[in-house]
Amino acid sequence: MMYSKMNKMWSPFVRRALATLVLVLLIGYTTGYAQTIDILIKNGHVIDAKNGLNSRMDVAISGGKIFKVAANIPSEGAKKVIDATGLYVSPGLINMHTHVFAGGNTGFVEGTSSQLPDAFGPRSGITTVVDAGTSGWKNFPQFKSQVIDKSSTRVLAFLNIFESGLVSGNATEPDLKSFDVQATVDAVKANPGIIVGTRIGHYSGKDWAPFDRAIEAAQVANVPFFVECHLPQYTLEDQLKRMRPGDIITHAYENVRERMSVIDEQGKIRPFVKEAQARGILFDVGHGGAGFWFNQAIPAFKQGLLPNSFGTDEHRTSMNSGMKTILNVMSKYLAMGMSIQEIIARGTWKPALSIKRPDLGNLSEGSEADVTLLKVLSGNFGFVDSGNNRIEGDKKLEAEMTIRGGRIIWDLNGLGANKFNQ
Amino acid sequence: MITRNYIWSACWVFATMVLLIVQPVSAVSQEIDLLLKGGHVIDPKNKIDSKMDVAIVAGKIFRIGVDIPANLAKKTIDANGLFVVPGIIDMHVHVFSGTDPGSTSVGNSARSQQADAFSFRSGVTTVVDAGSSGWRNFPLFKAQTIDKSQTRVLAFLNVVGNGMIGRFQEQDVNDMNPVMNAHMINRLYPNILVGVKSAHYWGDFVSVDKAVQSGQLANVPVIVDFGEHEPANSIEALFMKHLRPGDIFTHTFSEISSGRESIVDEASRKVKPFVFAAQNRGIIFDVGHGGGAFAFSQAMPALKQGFMPNTISTDLHDLSMNGAMKDMANVMSKFIAMGMSVQDVILRSTWNPANVIKRPDLGHLSVGAEADIAIFSLKKGNFGFIDVRRSRITGNERLEAELTIRAGRIVWDLNGISGAAWTPSLINN
Repeated sequence: MMYSKMNKMWSPFVRRALATLVLVLLIGYTTGYAQTIDILIKNGHVIDAKNGLNSRMDVAISGGKIFKVAANIPSEGAKKVIDATGLYVSPGLINMHTHVFAGGNTGFVEGTSSQLPDAFGPRSGITTVVDAGTSGWKNFPQFKSQVIDKSSTRVLAFLNIFESGLVSGNATEPDLKSFDVQATVDAVKANPGIIVGTRIGHYSGKDWAPFDRAIEAAQVANVPFFVECHLPQYTLEDQLKRMRPGDIITHAYENVRERMSVIDEQGKIRPFVKEAQARGILFDVGHGGAGFWFNQAIPAFKQGLLPNSFGTDEHRTSMNSGMKTILNVMSKYLAMGMSIQEIIARGTWKPALSIKRPDLGNLSEGSEADVTLLKVLSGNFGFVDSGNNRIEGDKKLEAEMTIRGGRIIWDLNGLGANKFNQ
Repeated sequence: MITRNYIWSACWVFATMVLLIVQPVSAVSQEIDLLLKGGHVIDPKNKIDSKMDVAIVAGKIFRIGVDIPANLAKKTIDANGLFVVPGIIDMHVHVFSGTDPGSTSVGNSARSQQADAFSFRSGVTTVVDAGSSGWRNFPLFKAQTIDKSQTRVLAFLNVVGNGMIGRFQEQDVNDMNPVMNAHMINRLYPNILVGVKSAHYWGDFVSVDKAVQSGQLANVPVIVDFGEHEPANSIEALFMKHLRPGDIFTHTFSEISSGRESIVDEASRKVKPFVFAAQNRGIIFDVGHGGGAFAFSQAMPALKQGFMPNTISTDLHDLSMNGAMKDMANVMSKFIAMGMSVQDVILRSTWNPANVIKRPDLGHLSVGAEADIAIFSLKKGNFGFIDVRRSRITGNERLEAELTIRAGRIVWDLNGISGAAWTPSLINN
């Protein structure tokens, strides 16, 4: 009755206008304005180097993407709310130096020396790993189908200049004929964004051809060149001189016989290392089993030779030694005096830029929701280097939660779980 | 030339004499390779539960006692405030990692994990693979994994010759050969193969019965993952009729909607009476947490009603490792959070599993035993533990593996307590 009366009262124009208004509101509600938030991370301290964020903020995830980062996003309507009070909220960590071509063979290629990315990634806040040349152009397709395509961790790769990667059991690549610049370039181009650079390491010859051809391939493919150690016949100075700005040298703070150290006998950064740094050569930690020494890293840190990334050089012997996890490596830098902001930048945005993947390592709205919730534990902690020398610290990083593409893939204490009802 | 040779000979004689004099002295003053001082030792076999020192020589337990002098040791580790326990035995893992494109399960695939990547950082020194391989592919598993691992890897041999390469293949009754299975255990690898696995069988009791037949032939226990039947088969019949005392029921606290009968009644939340009777009969109840086999709705009432699992284990594989299970230390901590004492947890992850797999040489710190040792800190704080249904309980303690020793060698040292303090003078030493 009332309705018919009102109907009579309202002119067709008003009715049409009202209907339009309702329609507009409805469309707005279902699409943009109040998009469903799948996960809302509340009250964490957001550190996002790309976007200059370093304060308490909420992060909303929708459809696997970062939907919004702002203070006080309302919880209403969010499917899941995570209380991140007291935690740091960081873009998912990037591990720049890993060996993940795991399998049953001896050695690294489809081998037991390599590690499965999902076994160590999620639990240490890692959402992206970069394999350091375990495969070359010939066996990259196999690596891709066996590991890259099957892992929930995002797996990228530096392609070894040697066609079959780290194929031999003793980690020394074979002869001068086993590399092909064009095939390497073709492989990079066929896998854009997945193969993010070329790589050399483990070559015991004197000939500069493999080194120079790896740079040439990187040049043509417009990707960085990644240099490991185990190149005993090349001097460090010559290696750095040949490298281009943006190229990366790993095992930056190693102190082993086969490669000159970055710190000289007086405890100073060698002048040619400083020159390389000034020219834009990037230094990756590449901790590994033998690649990280406090007698290099501490003077280097004090004198300004900072790592651009915290590659762990993940493999079967590094994982249970001084390295342990990327968070342990990052915590070493906390103990050495680096700020948490600097550490997170070097675990996320800086490596993303260096591999030309600016879509990664940040929390920009619209980017894939790779997010890590980190806790800074307080206590008495110890950290050892490759020589089992120990420093102490009162803080240590722990991965509370890891989110990859909007999906929770690690939840240490069940922050995202429901209370058990008896 | 002659003179020079003579002088050299004289030098050698002198040097030898010096060595003969010095060596006994140094041997006396440093007879211990590694001394763990001041820790709280829990060794259930030897009924030790107090502050003690543990001395290791040549990879073996040399001595356990109060106040063993540090000057007898080449290296001393301060274990004050830490628990020193036998190396943990994880009795249910899947570590047959490989790249067989035909495998859809844990046999020779990336769904199995590498033992060393999970063991030491959790205090584990021995894992037992639960039937990832059968008699056809065990030699490959051995070459690929067991021989290359620092962790001691033992195995239950699957009653299916092909092991766990896929649910479908696991149904092949014609590939269940108790005689071949027993031969491989007894004749070929008696030191590695500790039992027989029956799992994932969709039919009646054939798989279990064949596994038991093999277990009888080889005189080893059987471990059963029982529960993919429609409708669910009776676990009472399994415990009381088909299994023998000493045989193992894994996934004890599983609760799924169909196909598998739970040990705790889902309506009354009471432990079914025959479950106590089965445990009294000698059936071993193993946790086997896994990705889908641990529910608080089973474990909490069971523990409250006095039912304790005999062994604690992870069921490590790709789908359990990043979920509620995480690692052995987390599963052990979960039981502490549910009210089990640290001593009971250690018993169920050391001496109990060692006995179940008939390896009484493991899981204890008796003098002469291989020095597999875990040192744990019991961290205090606010911790959460979830089950496979993502329901959460809280606890204020969490076990963390501080140091792990395998056959006398330090294989994990979380905070570098065995390391030497770094000083700036070490630059380019």
